[in-house]
Amino acid sequence: MGVFESSEKFKEVIVGFFNLLADTPQVADKLMASNMVIRFIYSDPDLVVVVDCSGDAVDVRPDDTETKALVEMRMKADVAHKFWFGKVNLTMALTRRQMVAKGPVPKILKLLPAIKPSYAMYPTYLDENGYSTYNIH
Amino acid sequence: MLPEFYQFHHPTKVIFGEGLANDCSHELEELGVTNYFIVSDEVLSSLGLIEQIRKGLQEAGFTITGEFYDVPQDASVEAVEAISRQATDSGAEGLIAIGGGSVIDATKAANFIFSEGGDLIEDYSGAATLTKPLKPFVVIPTTAGTGSENTVVAVIYDVANKTKLAFSDKFLLPDLAVLDPLMTQSLPPGLTASTGMDALTHAVESFVGIDASPHSQALAVEAIKQIFKYLLRATKNGDDIEARGGMLIAANMAGSSFSHSMVGCVHAMAHSVGGLTRVPHGVANAILLPHGMEYNLKVSKKKFAELAPVMGVDVTGMSVDEAARGAIAAVRKLGQLLHDLDAIPLRLREAGVPEESLPAIADVATEDGSVIYNPREVVAEEILVHLKNAY
Repeated sequence: MGVFESSEKFKEVIVGFFNLLADTPQVADKLMASNMVIRFIYSDPDLVVVVDCSGDAVDVRPDDTETKALVEMRMKADVAHKFWFGKVNLTMALTRRQMVAKGPVPKILKLLPAIKPSYAMYPTYLDENGYSTYNIH
Repeated sequence: MLPEFYQFHHPTKVIFGEGLANDCSHELEELGVTNYFIVSDEVLSSLGLIEQIRKGLQEAGFTITGEFYDVPQDASVEAVEAISRQATDSGAEGLIAIGGGSVIDATKAANFIFSEGGDLIEDYSGAATLTKPLKPFVVIPTTAGTGSENTVVAVIYDVANKTKLAFSDKFLLPDLAVLDPLMTQSLPPGLTASTGMDALTHAVESFVGIDASPHSQALAVEAIKQIFKYLLRATKNGDDIEARGGMLIAANMAGSSFSHSMVGCVHAMAHSVGGLTRVPHGVANAILLPHGMEYNLKVSKKKFAELAPVMGVDVTGMSVDEAARGAIAAVRKLGQLLHDLDAIPLRLREAGVPEESLPAIADVATEDGSVIYNPREVVAEEILVHLKNAY
């Protein structure tokens, strides 16, 4: 049994957090500079989320399986959860196949410095939005 | 201090010996299939090298179902698709690549589609996209540089989009690498020197990179030792079979090292120089290696100092700083000696790089995937200073 009990709950938490990042200029501006469309494909529980940085603002679209993404990232929901706490080394996770990246991996790796502030935001976000049971910080 | 995490995964069987390319049927039998498709190039075919290998395999009961000799200097998506299509149509069960980096990478990538079907870019571009082993794949390198017979990576040029695509997967590793010094005997001095300096760059960059590990560093150190012992000899006298063998082993070890620990700013600059001005990869690395070391000196002093005695520098009485600079000087000296043999250029201008392209080269280098593993952040303005020094 993973951290999240259902796809609905995981969607609520992760999409809410992605939207928070989209509204945080310190992170969003750098994501927008990448101009990338990334599809996250999660399992245990299952969920698909597209983060589209190709328009005027970061657009977070859950359940979007149609848009052509430059990069697809597959991982378990628990790995994603730990990642946003800053507890997963991305290159290590790729090496160990905890994450599978389809597309230009270097472009994803280059986003790491941009999303660094989000690691501190995640536990705060969980606590402030009624998800403190998921806070493993 | 030990790394927080690392893994060492080396399933490729490596065999070394004179004449083994024509006599590796015992190892091929272990792979369980008899029908092979050969990928190579016209030059090697015209030298009669393929004929000997084909004969050896046929006499041992293997069937060569077809051959492909049309891999361009930069392995292209089109070549990869043609290889997989022709191999499939011929009824092959396995692939044999005989050649340098382009031939090996093209065949490596072709094994994706040959084994699993699908579209190269759509289905396999990226990292760890496979879930099971591919069909048998044998490599006989004919240059001592890329070490691609020992790496998880294939780099393929997407002509349509003018970009280099990286494919990285543990299942891309060949099942068998045959290191036969006779297969590199005909390599001319220029290619011997530039591919050898490519191997040296792999070893040095993987040694100082952020993902370096005790395993990868041990391989890098031994590779560097062999390169300093044999590269000049192999370049001066192509018939020096011991030197040819030493360089094949060094390139293979350096390949394994960088397959685990990756490369850094020298490769980032070389990829950029190659992409924008078409300077061959080994030549670009040969020119830029000492300059990249200068760039990393302030953060990698101790590691460079460790490499100095491996490169033949007498570090007795030297400070860490002096020893580190000694390592850079040793690399410069090796380059100078190869240059004195008319084997490699020492400056970007000698390689035909236009001076006005340097700012663009610096910018593109900062976007290269290799910069992630460099021990120091790669900043365009500072890289430009070193590119100008290399000009």
